[in-house]
Amino acid sequence: MSRRVVVQSEDFDLADEYRRLCELDAAIGAVVTFCGLVRDCQEQARIDSLTLQHYPGMTEASLNKVVVAAEQRWPLHGVSVIHRVGALLPSDQIVFVGVASSHRAAAFQAADFLMDYLKTHALLWKRVESDGQRSWVETRDSDERALQRWTQGSTPP
Amino acid sequence: MIKLLFFGRLGDSAATAPELFKVSEGLTPSAVRDALAIEHPLLVEALLEPQVLVSIDRVIADWNQPLTDGCELAFLPPVTGG
Repeated sequence: MSRRVVVQSEDFDLADEYRRLCELDAAIGAVVTFCGLVRDCQEQARIDSLTLQHYPGMTEASLNKVVVAAEQRWPLHGVSVIHRVGALLPSDQIVFVGVASSHRAAAFQAADFLMDYLKTHALLWKRVESDGQRSWVETRDSDERALQRWTQGSTPP
Repeated sequence: MIKLLFFGRLGDSAATAPELFKVSEGLTPSAVRDALAIEHPLLVEALLEPQVLVSIDRVIADWNQPLTDGCELAFLPPVTGG
């Protein structure tokens, strides 16, 4: 099992990340990748830029914990999570999740699980700048509700 | 001394809060919060929200966990990554 968890300000290359997962071992039959982008609007307000704050060391540990939880649930060969921090602009890539497994069901489900938990458990804080005003993004009930389908009959990370 | 860190929107309320705090016998995160109340009432109001967590030396901790000299105490509001 290969685990790659990175928090960085630089952009990442989807093709490189995909190739890295494909080349882990020959028993891999499915690679699912997800890439999140910065939207240009939030709560119907136009966004000029977005800043992600993190807590060095602890943010990586929180991401690692979510990946470990996914590894315990599905038979995975590799997981990559990259989260960008710092100043970002609309359409910038912000997050990458990639999962390699023997079969597609595990890869799809694990990638979905990772994104749901990352939204609610990764130590990251978003601030948006819109028309010269800065404001911190509030948590959403929909993100919390998304977790419920994973927590029935099991222990959350 | 202990080092204080405030993340996310707590950082805005903590703009004038001290970065270091003198450690004393039996000091806990909740005692630090209470001690900030006189000079930083808005910050303490934000810290009292039930979703705010604390970490000691980058590990999630209890509000009543004792603090030791040289440690790093961080106040963490609800996260919004992804």
